[in-house]
Amino acid sequence: MISAAHRNGADQNMTDTSHDHAGNPLGIAGIEFIEYATTEPLAFGSLIEQMGFVAIARHRSREVTLYRQGGMNIVVNGDKRALPSSAREDMPATVISAIALRVRDADQAYRHAIEMGAWAIETRAGVMELNIPGVHGAGDSILYFVDRVGDFSIYDVDFKPIPGAPQQPPALAGMHFFGVVQSIDEGRQPEWCDFYRQLMHFEVLPEGEFFGAVPKGTLLASPCRSFYLQLIEPPPGAGSLQWEEQLLRVGFGVPDVAAAVRLLEERGIVFTERAAQQANGKGALTRLYKGGVSFELVLSARLPIAEAR
Amino acid sequence: MNLSNFGLDSITLAGPLAARLAACRAAGFSQIMLWARDLAEHPGGIEDAVRVVRSSGLRVTGIQAMRDYEGLDGALHEYKLDIARHLLRVCKAVGAPLLVVSASTSSHATGERELIARDLAKLANSAVPLGVRIGYEAQSWSRHVHAWEQAWEVVDMAAHANLGVVLDSFHMLAGGDEIEGLEDMPSEKIALVQLSDFMLRDLGSAEERIETAGHLRVFPGEGCHSAELSNMLRRLDRSGYRGSYSLEIINDDYRQLPPEIVCARGLRAAKWITDQVLRRSLQVRAYAGRTL
Repeated sequence: MISAAHRNGADQNMTDTSHDHAGNPLGIAGIEFIEYATTEPLAFGSLIEQMGFVAIARHRSREVTLYRQGGMNIVVNGDKRALPSSAREDMPATVISAIALRVRDADQAYRHAIEMGAWAIETRAGVMELNIPGVHGAGDSILYFVDRVGDFSIYDVDFKPIPGAPQQPPALAGMHFFGVVQSIDEGRQPEWCDFYRQLMHFEVLPEGEFFGAVPKGTLLASPCRSFYLQLIEPPPGAGSLQWEEQLLRVGFGVPDVAAAVRLLEERGIVFTERAAQQANGKGALTRLYKGGVSFELVLSARLPIAEAR
Repeated sequence: MNLSNFGLDSITLAGPLAARLAACRAAGFSQIMLWARDLAEHPGGIEDAVRVVRSSGLRVTGIQAMRDYEGLDGALHEYKLDIARHLLRVCKAVGAPLLVVSASTSSHATGERELIARDLAKLANSAVPLGVRIGYEAQSWSRHVHAWEQAWEVVDMAAHANLGVVLDSFHMLAGGDEIEGLEDMPSEKIALVQLSDFMLRDLGSAEERIETAGHLRVFPGEGCHSAELSNMLRRLDRSGYRGSYSLEIINDDYRQLPPEIVCARGLRAAKWITDQVLRRSLQVRAYAGRTL
């Protein structure tokens, strides 16, 4: 991950009024939840529990579980229909199937995206019975817009709390959503940058300001400067490598990477040695787990936006 | 520049889809421009058409043709956007990296540059998740955007990397476009160059242009405008354009000949084009280091 804002500390001074900034007409204010679709919901659930998440609620009618830690929500969708059509029946697969953005007015954000050319999702395509407006993003993923954060929870309609589970489990090691890494086809960085710029007012950070464990690609900052999208092209000479445009992995911000790595290692998470050696405390990458999923830790001093409020 | 830069347009050839693909491949071409119609009319249906194309060994230059898309409003706009999206899905299915959008001829379409640019940016955004680029082409009989410079103006205004200009030598020659300045357009904003010539020196009226465009185009090197074409090609080469050249020869005579014969003419045209560009660069090299 790369971060200009983190280096100059601009985002640490963020206040509520920053949502109304001219560069953020949709009032984007961080990630409400990230949804994974998986063929192995139990195994993947255990993995994110090792990462510090706690299963707090189950969907009323489908094989969907809500996990939480601190200000982060992860929806684990075990419904076969949620997986991309390219997924093979006999292969374990876990993919990031949606990013839900907190916005000032979900309908306004949705209409803006549609007006700019986004594809509307089919009604009821998503996990929520509550009709959350969304558009198609990279690969088979969906970008949702959520505005009812606070006194009314979007989860109340579809989920039943798991008895005895803490509903507000604290974040381990100060973890918060930092960003999502997206693979793109060779040479498609300008196209995707314009896509996120025109649909959601994301901003491309200056070239070469690398940050975190994987210093490559291009970083786009959300207009609220509370999370980032990192676009990564296939490595050189990867002609025969299978590479498709999709959301690859989630990055979690932590104030102290080494401490977070230690804590997570104690919980059984395995980090790649290469990342540990190269990152100089700026970040760390977990091994690739079954189903093709990994996580990244990124040095980030700020508080998650929900807690900062 | 080598043969891999050149492709034939399927409209140039007679015969069923598979025969046209096979003839192109056998002639040594590595790409072909397809029309959505080629796939829809395939007797085995769209899925089989996709299979035939994907197993042909040819890459698809792009898909033609989205017409009368931009500058509309209300229900007409929604309808055309919907059609464009069907075509984007066709592009994705068949592995075509480009959808060619011809500048509108509709009397309902506005000529306001900002609105045209807005509609093009919208389609460019729609095409990003599918991995398809939008190429906007001025036709000499289009209502508002009928010269390449006007197409470039709105594409520039739309400010989207997923949108470029499709240059078509027929329209540039028939419309008497100024080609000075062609090399100043950033080469990455040229989505494709379509080449053909014709046998008459001038095409005065729109009717004459439409008639000739639809029936009597010829390969570069066979027509009346070799000098202009040559000039155009060198300017494009100087601008740094290294993309594809699609030979789009709509010609009734060619459509009644076996595709192998027409492909052979296509190869000759590709060589002619390469020679035009090469001659220029050789000339430059010959003068280099010599005291004039």
